[in-house]
Amino acid sequence: MADKAQARSESESPIHIMPRSTLSTEANKTGSWRYLRPRYEEKTAPCSAACPAGEDIGKIEMLTAQGLFKEAWETILRENPFPGICGRVCFHPCEGACNRGEFDDPIAIHSLERFLADTAERYDLKPLMERLPGRPEKVAIAGAGPSGLAAAWFLAQLGYTCDVFEASAEAGGILRWGIPLYRLPLAALQREVAQVEAQGVRIHTGRPVTADLLRDLENAYQAVYLACGHGRTTALRVPGEETDGVGDGLQFLERVRRGETPDVKGVSAVIGGGNTAVDVARTIVRLGGEALILYRRRRQDMPAFGDEVQMALDEGVGLRELVAPERIEKDGDRVLVTLRQMRIAGEEGGRGRIEPDGDRLSRVTVDRLFKATGAEAAEGWYNPPAAGKGIVALSHCALSIRDGGPALAWGGDLANDVKSVVHAVASGKQAAIALDTLFREGPDSILLKLEACTVGNGPPLSMEIHMGGERRLRNRHVVAYGEINTDYFRYTPRMTQPRLVREERARSFAEIDLRVSGNIAMREAERCFNCGLCNQCDNCHLFCPDLAVIRGKDGQGRHINYDYCKGCGLCVVECPRNAMTLEEEGR
Amino acid sequence: MKRVLEGSQAVAEAVRLARVQVVSAYPITPQTHIVEFLSEYCASGTMNARFLRVESEHSCMAALIGAQSTGVRTFTATSGQGLALMHELLHWASGARLPIVMAEVNRALAPGWNIWVDQTDSLAQRDTGWIQFYCEDSQEVVDTTLQAYRLAESVALPVMVVLDAFFLSHTYEPVDVPEQEQVDRFLPPYEARFRLDTAAPCSFGPLVPPAVYMEMRHDIAQAMEKALSTFREIEDEYAGIFGRRYGAVEAVCCDDAEIVLVTSGTITSTARSVLEDLRGRGEKAGLLKIKLFRPFPVDDVRRALGGAKKIAVIDRNFSFGASGIFAQELRAALCNVPGHAPVFGYVAGIGGRDVTPAVLEDIYWKTKNSAAPERESVWIGLQEVSHGS
Amino acid sequence: MDLELSDREFMYSGHVGCPGCGAAIAMRFLLKALGDKMMMVLPACCWSVIAGPYPTTTLKVPVIHSAFETGGAVASGVRAALDMKGDTETTVVTWAGDGGTFDIGFQALSGAVERNEDFIYVCYDNEAYMNTGIQRSSSTPYGAWTTTTPGKDWKKMRKKNIVEALAAHRIPYAATASISHPEDLVRKVKRAQATKGSRFLHIFASCPTGWKIPSEMAVKIARMAVQTNIFPLYEVEEGLHYTINVKPKRYPVREYFKIQGRFQHLTDADLDVIQKMVDEDWELLLRKAGEHA
Repeated sequence: MADKAQARSESESPIHIMPRSTLSTEANKTGSWRYLRPRYEEKTAPCSAACPAGEDIGKIEMLTAQGLFKEAWETILRENPFPGICGRVCFHPCEGACNRGEFDDPIAIHSLERFLADTAERYDLKPLMERLPGRPEKVAIAGAGPSGLAAAWFLAQLGYTCDVFEASAEAGGILRWGIPLYRLPLAALQREVAQVEAQGVRIHTGRPVTADLLRDLENAYQAVYLACGHGRTTALRVPGEETDGVGDGLQFLERVRRGETPDVKGVSAVIGGGNTAVDVARTIVRLGGEALILYRRRRQDMPAFGDEVQMALDEGVGLRELVAPERIEKDGDRVLVTLRQMRIAGEEGGRGRIEPDGDRLSRVTVDRLFKATGAEAAEGWYNPPAAGKGIVALSHCALSIRDGGPALAWGGDLANDVKSVVHAVASGKQAAIALDTLFREGPDSILLKLEACTVGNGPPLSMEIHMGGERRLRNRHVVAYGEINTDYFRYTPRMTQPRLVREERARSFAEIDLRVSGNIAMREAERCFNCGLCNQCDNCHLFCPDLAVIRGKDGQGRHINYDYCKGCGLCVVECPRNAMTLEEEGR
Repeated sequence: MKRVLEGSQAVAEAVRLARVQVVSAYPITPQTHIVEFLSEYCASGTMNARFLRVESEHSCMAALIGAQSTGVRTFTATSGQGLALMHELLHWASGARLPIVMAEVNRALAPGWNIWVDQTDSLAQRDTGWIQFYCEDSQEVVDTTLQAYRLAESVALPVMVVLDAFFLSHTYEPVDVPEQEQVDRFLPPYEARFRLDTAAPCSFGPLVPPAVYMEMRHDIAQAMEKALSTFREIEDEYAGIFGRRYGAVEAVCCDDAEIVLVTSGTITSTARSVLEDLRGRGEKAGLLKIKLFRPFPVDDVRRALGGAKKIAVIDRNFSFGASGIFAQELRAALCNVPGHAPVFGYVAGIGGRDVTPAVLEDIYWKTKNSAAPERESVWIGLQEVSHGS
Repeated sequence: MDLELSDREFMYSGHVGCPGCGAAIAMRFLLKALGDKMMMVLPACCWSVIAGPYPTTTLKVPVIHSAFETGGAVASGVRAALDMKGDTETTVVTWAGDGGTFDIGFQALSGAVERNEDFIYVCYDNEAYMNTGIQRSSSTPYGAWTTTTPGKDWKKMRKKNIVEALAAHRIPYAATASISHPEDLVRKVKRAQATKGSRFLHIFASCPTGWKIPSEMAVKIARMAVQTNIFPLYEVEEGLHYTINVKPKRYPVREYFKIQGRFQHLTDADLDVIQKMVDEDWELLLRKAGEHA
């Protein structure tokens, strides 16, 4: 008996038993009460499901908040070799999906991505990338633009030797020749191109991919990936298009990137509403001219990034909405453009559907005109074939698999509905995974393998999952805002991306977005909910009434002691970020 | 050293000598003087103890349960309503095996506020597992209180030292107050068998299921029984040091008595002089004083009353629906003795009414002149009451 | 969260608290904040049973279970004994439910505090006599169903304000706390530990069983009580100086009441009355703290 005490002296009578407890209650395994069982189950953050490259954004922000910048940067590189580029030019669909946006403001993911790349550059960090053992197959890539370079990057991780053939004297494609310096400085591009080469990728410049070269490549390589891009401006199909004084927007940008200073005296009109049109207009301003954008829909319908449009207007670029070119004529030294007034007839897929506003026309006389209404492949045969036997049409690329011949793949602007850098990266990844599967297991496994490494509901893919990393254990359920326990967060304003003051911007091609300091970045990253991921906040351990949540050594990792867990579910509800799941016992 | 002390102060002196460490106090006539004396002793430093001025008698006992469980010697005093209020915790103290000692000044229970002597209050607590001693004079109070600590700590049960209101508590008598170093020899410092201790944590008083509760209560019953022999040993030791003993009972002239009066408390002193008087007139009378009431000294009582032809018990108390309580206990003690004498129960002195020599004489002659008891209890000295007043 | 809490645990698993028991969470926080140089007086309440049957105990500290009404008195005795033994390190803590504090135990608590006994009295409040099966106490809030305030007889008396009652004693330190705000709770426990004389902590400990809510909502409901000003978090020093610790955005009380089964019978009109009562009490507290809405 716990309380027995022998008499300590002859005069003391013993107490044989009395109400006094000394044993612990641990023999009572209260886990037997349970009919619901909690478990740790990480899920998918909406940002990573919205990022075409499937970057593990929730994890990236978690590492950044902890000050583990190199680890965060490497986490990006697993899924996207271009954080420095995307951190400057991406249209950040991630921020639109950010759950925090429903609480106060979305996380400044875009700025943080750039911060991490800047940090890597500042400290000259070299990434430690996981690579699979070398494979015998060799892949040739046509075009050293974002898609081609991304494909090379991912194939290198998978163990393949790649040769990239680039027509121009320098790698980069639209990154080198299209996007202006004030958005993407040359050094940032060159650094990330060098990073790809450091993986063992060989880039051969001055080697345009002609039909002849393609034949040679098909003989020497087991696969050829065509990523030549949309290098040619589409025609206006308007009378007078050939008039002297009408220029090609893309060519104009390339000339400026080559160091030329084309004449932009007077007023230049730019027809179009995409990023190219805005880039052309803002470049003109920096060269000393005046720019006027003529767009057939409304400002809010412009495909160009809203920020860019606003900055263009701030820099003095003019904008005329709801005007479509009718006819172009020479007017002495100048160019006369007849414009048809348009009006909105309804909304369609988020954009206004337009129709001519009766017979209303107007005229404008300018010194020159630039076309920037869209682009297409420079050569017709660059384009992927239509669907048919042996053709696998994927979300971001197309594959042609032939018996007794190398595989052909098309990606980037050639195969994407949305023409953006991050979609180009997505193409490269999808093609790399598809080719890798083709080589290791055969064509019938391609769709299965792509499905297996899908993030959320797709189409983004994850290289980490494909390579068997921890991310494969996550549930693909995309965490909704309603599943976040917002009691644990306070309204905190989003960081402000520092920029050159307005008066400074248009004076030169100096980069407008400025660097961000580490403490600002960490504070911003701390705002991230880390949807679906465990960030060691310890709420589960803290609130368990039965002490059934056990912490691992150094406070890292937790597990549940099912001997005592009564299945109350508190841990699951108090997990701010839905990294736990409650399910029926015995399932 | 011999001093003339009020009965209350005799209690206080014994408590001081016992080196009690925590006293809890709540006033109620007629015990208040006891705690007032102790309060002065503590304030002046004569006594090194914490004096807790709690806000009710229930809290008095609760505080002592806490203090004793932490491992120190404790004391409190109460009376009448106060004891009744403590009832729940009297059970607790014995169930927790805590050797608390309390002075209980017998006082009548309300309604009808009555501050005078009546034994019903302490006897109503006879089932609580407390050892009970009924004292006759101030000397006995001092000696019994000191012995109470030895006894309590030996059998791990609480002890109640009972004294009559006013006749004992407020009467001045000469008392031989022992010297501290003599008492220290008799009563060593308290060493708790179990206590609250951060070095060896345990939980006192948890939930106890039927499977073991009975065994715990049996242990208490056995300790109570052991108290009989332990008391005898302690009295022997005390007599050796201080030269005084009282016995669980005291039989006076019982060997050849035909009628034995059974008394307790101060009535005993009156009975002694009545006995002398009766004997002087040739009556074969005897007197049995009951000192130890719980545990009831069955063997001592059977021995003392073995030769009696009639037994007259005087109860200054009553258990409604039954009888005077000492009479009940006596009948229970004797019922299995073949051919035992009949027990005549008398109720006298209720609510402080005087029990004079005349009352005791009346009881003696009633007993002698009745062949058998006419009823369980005969109430002595009742007045005519007119109905509807 | 920035909690300065020992990694050590002072209670075992295997206790018989209901799943999601707020009282178990409260005890766990208290023990971790206080450490093991303490003795606990535990009058009759849910924890008398939660702590486990003889010969076991869930608690790793010395405990004396005591009668229902004796929390303040037994602690006074324990403290007196420790003083006589020259122990200045050990803290005496009474751990009682609302029944044993607001009702039957109020006398002993008031007596102990009036004497400024040197101990910490912690009341974990689940707003009814839960151990005996959900009967009404003076801590049960206005509007609640209990087995002794059923149907039309739902409780139409306000919840007794125990902190105010003790402030009138000029108690050196009194504070409210909630299991939903662990940082605040721990800070107050440590503050109490560092103060001498009588100290009182009123901890809001939700009860899924008695309040008829799903067990996983126990912490959230406690948080909602704070956010709606139904259970404000504040401290009182010397019974005179009030400090409000959390000023929520004043969410309407409706949501708090709608979630709990014990309030299902309340109409919109009833809830309006309650909202007014809560607003008035909050205004009063602000004035006491020298602040404005």
